[in-house]
Amino acid sequence: MTDVELHHGAASDVGLVREINEDAFLVAPPVFVVADGMGGHDRGDVASRIVVEEFSALAESGYDATRGPEAIAATLRSSQARIAEYDAGQRAAGAQDFAAGTTAVVALVVEQAQGDVGGPTEPMWLLANLGDSRIYRYNDSVLEQVSVDHSVVQELVDAGTISLADAAVHPERHIITRALGGSGSTEADFFVLPLAGAERLLLCSDGVSGMIDDDQIADILSRTSDPRDAADRVVAAAVAAGGRDNATAVVIDVVGLVPDRPYDSDAQRMSLEQKLGALP
Amino acid sequence: MPTSSYRTGAWFAVFGSATTLLLPGSEKARVADLWSRIDDGAGFDEVLDALLQSGLGALPGFVLVSGGDGPTKVLARGAVQVTGSADGEQVGIDGRDALTWVERTLDHVESLALVVVDDASSEDTDDMDTDDVDLPIVGGLVRVSRVDQPAVTAPPAAPVGTPPLAPEAEQVSEPAPAPVPESSPLDDEPDTANMGTREDAGPLDQPVDPPDEADSWAPRAPEPPAAPPGPPPAGPPPVPTGAPPFAPTDALSLQTDHAEQAGSPSAPPAPPVDDDPSDHDGLTRTGASSEAEFARELPGIPGQPAAPRVVAPVARLLISNGETIPVDRVILVGRAPEARRFTSTEQPRLVKVPSPLHEISSTHLEVRPGSGADHGSAVVTDMGSTNGTVLEQPGLGPEDLKPGIAVQLIPGATINLGDGVTIQVTRP
Repeated sequence: MTDVELHHGAASDVGLVREINEDAFLVAPPVFVVADGMGGHDRGDVASRIVVEEFSALAESGYDATRGPEAIAATLRSSQARIAEYDAGQRAAGAQDFAAGTTAVVALVVEQAQGDVGGPTEPMWLLANLGDSRIYRYNDSVLEQVSVDHSVVQELVDAGTISLADAAVHPERHIITRALGGSGSTEADFFVLPLAGAERLLLCSDGVSGMIDDDQIADILSRTSDPRDAADRVVAAAVAAGGRDNATAVVIDVVGLVPDRPYDSDAQRMSLEQKLGALP
Repeated sequence: MPTSSYRTGAWFAVFGSATTLLLPGSEKARVADLWSRIDDGAGFDEVLDALLQSGLGALPGFVLVSGGDGPTKVLARGAVQVTGSADGEQVGIDGRDALTWVERTLDHVESLALVVVDDASSEDTDDMDTDDVDLPIVGGLVRVSRVDQPAVTAPPAAPVGTPPLAPEAEQVSEPAPAPVPESSPLDDEPDTANMGTREDAGPLDQPVDPPDEADSWAPRAPEPPAAPPGPPPAGPPPVPTGAPPFAPTDALSLQTDHAEQAGSPSAPPAPPVDDDPSDHDGLTRTGASSEAEFARELPGIPGQPAAPRVVAPVARLLISNGETIPVDRVILVGRAPEARRFTSTEQPRLVKVPSPLHEISSTHLEVRPGSGADHGSAVVTDMGSTNGTVLEQPGLGPEDLKPGIAVQLIPGATINLGDGVTIQVTRP
């Protein structure tokens, strides 16, 4: 691993309406997770905690940094198995139709080969998403949502049926199409970003993204340099905006990275040589 | 409906969609190669070419019958007889009459019987007491002494002690008597041949589709089980004496419908419709109201099919900085490429190229194995790069790539990303 430091902060709040916090998060560099449990009385908090425990075990045991997607997929599978086991135990105890579930967003630093097979590798963000929790990146003062929600409204937006503005108030905006637990698809979407292209990452539950819009998030991230303060303020803003749901945020800053200089000395020298005709 | 039926024997018979071929039992190596061709749907001429590749002298006998519409062509050589009726007339062809082979073109064939008159082998099969059982077959490779086309539908009198149609469970539970194809080329060849033909050539989970009427024999062509590593038996393969009329388990492969098998990309598992969606923090629920809502586009470039999984690279990219990249998956090239929305099993390869002047976008273009009409070659797509991409195909002028539009790459093509970075496309 190159000389990269990850500074991070995390915050979670039960909100103003819910009685228990079913969100869970993990900060165990280089593994970061936010899981949003669902199921209410079906103990979504257990499901989200299971995911965090499984990824915590992954962070402790380590993983093959060149096989990140497999590591995440295996951890999600083991989480799914444990949730199913828990469900089965609850049903056996008499709780009919018991089905705990949870979303998961994961950020992991992996080594990605550059070019040649077996050639040099470079650290990258490997991101995984299952459900409607989100991963944003904040780079060059621009906030961009990286993950694509597994939700009915996102499908409708993708299909061009409704606009993003409609999606925020759509009656079915809380229905997700993929999650851990239950019987739906548990196949996560994966994303790979160069560390340099994601100097700040935000992982959050829909208690954040559903309460404050992207502009507000961008505003907080731009004004708060410390990732711990940034996480706190994002969650506080979500609670202040109504706090209808558990709100959780994890903010990670990549520090010490040699920036990808647009006009570095090499480039300037080369362009000068080209200008002078010394090089074709 | 099975198009043919056969009786077990010493010769090999290959049943394909376009041709049927009989070869003597001594031609093991040849039959393995021909099986893969015929199974791929090779036509009459192609099979004949392959058959005669090493000369006629080395080939003691064969029968080749063309199928499909139009006149039926029959070639016979050696110890075989072809009898039947066509256009209301009796036909008789004896392969022993000819110095080279006997060729007949028959219109309106009503029936054909391809009979091996090799004395030695029929004795062998007599010993096995099974040569009077007609087994239906649609496609595959089997040992035969006689082939009837169309299939002899009425099952002949079953041998004593054989249930006319053994209960399914019994056949399933007894895969053991299935004769094991004994020669190693047979074990290996069909697999590789099959992989080549399947677009979704993933793990060889199920290389054969059972024929429709084979419902009664549930064992889906059991993987040649536990072939004894010892020397192969000299005679014809052991045939279960109590062979039920439907027991094509000794067929190495039963291929029915190529179209069906040609791997329509497996639809995502239908998500369950949750009538009583569970509560998600009181608000969020799982489940959707209709399956269509799950029909999310495949990851990748919108409007383009997902890259097929390929066994071998379809091309090779020589990048001007000296790197060589095989195109065996999605490849993203750029100054600092990013990969979006892929699954754990189809991870794209990211190729970073130097761009001191920043003329190249962070994720500039994508190269992937083509699908559909582009199957077998690579396709390039500009990912909406800022400064564009110029493609120069052999014999054509430079062409600006339109963002999001895939273009097939011909070996010899050159892709120019700007900043002095070019990619040459070569054969794998």
